[in-house]
Amino acid sequence: MKKAWLYVAATSFFELVWIFGFNVASVWWHWIPIVLFIFVDFHFLSKACETLPTGTVYAIFAAIGTVGTALMDVFFFDQTLSGGKIFFIVLLVAGVIGLKLADGHDEKIAAEGNR
Amino acid sequence: MGWLFVALAAVFEFIGVIGLNKYSKRKTIPTGFMFLGGFGLSFVFLYSSFQYLQVSTAYAVWIGIGTAGAVLLNMIFFGESKSLARIGSLALIIVGVIGLKALS
Repeated sequence: MKKAWLYVAATSFFELVWIFGFNVASVWWHWIPIVLFIFVDFHFLSKACETLPTGTVYAIFAAIGTVGTALMDVFFFDQTLSGGKIFFIVLLVAGVIGLKLADGHDEKIAAEGNR
Repeated sequence: MGWLFVALAAVFEFIGVIGLNKYSKRKTIPTGFMFLGGFGLSFVFLYSSFQYLQVSTAYAVWIGIGTAGAVLLNMIFFGESKSLARIGSLALIIVGVIGLKALS
């Protein structure tokens, strides 16, 4: 269970690495590590889905990618963080936390049912 | 034309998500092909749509449909939890992803 969330963290981290790569790639060979990172990323994505619901994992994967790119734009590529963006980031973070709590709760019920 | 590409990208994203679910349960060549091929083609079509539409708009619609679709497909076909807390949290994520992508 703990391990599955580590896989979610890994897939989200590697996702941000390759998205960053997309933004900074300038020479052809830059795409070699980027493609490599995509494969590593998708490996962890499938590992996470072995124990957690795919819908949950994919929504979190999309959420972190979205928040990550928005923050990357601000910190690395000189974009502004508007009030609207902050609002949606807060919404996303709330959704991810809620989902983690909800699935944890469902799992507990399932575990008790199996006893 | 641009929206046709976005629609195709969303359809292949669904295929990728179903592949992801199947591949995580049984690692075979067909399921791996469905998983990587679905997402691969989805990116190709999304990228093609950028020639006709604004990147932020195309991205927001693609990721919104994809995430909502992933959740619904897994609830309908793979029996994932339909608890109110889960649906509420997922709705927050979907709205947040679409909103943030639309602004970026």
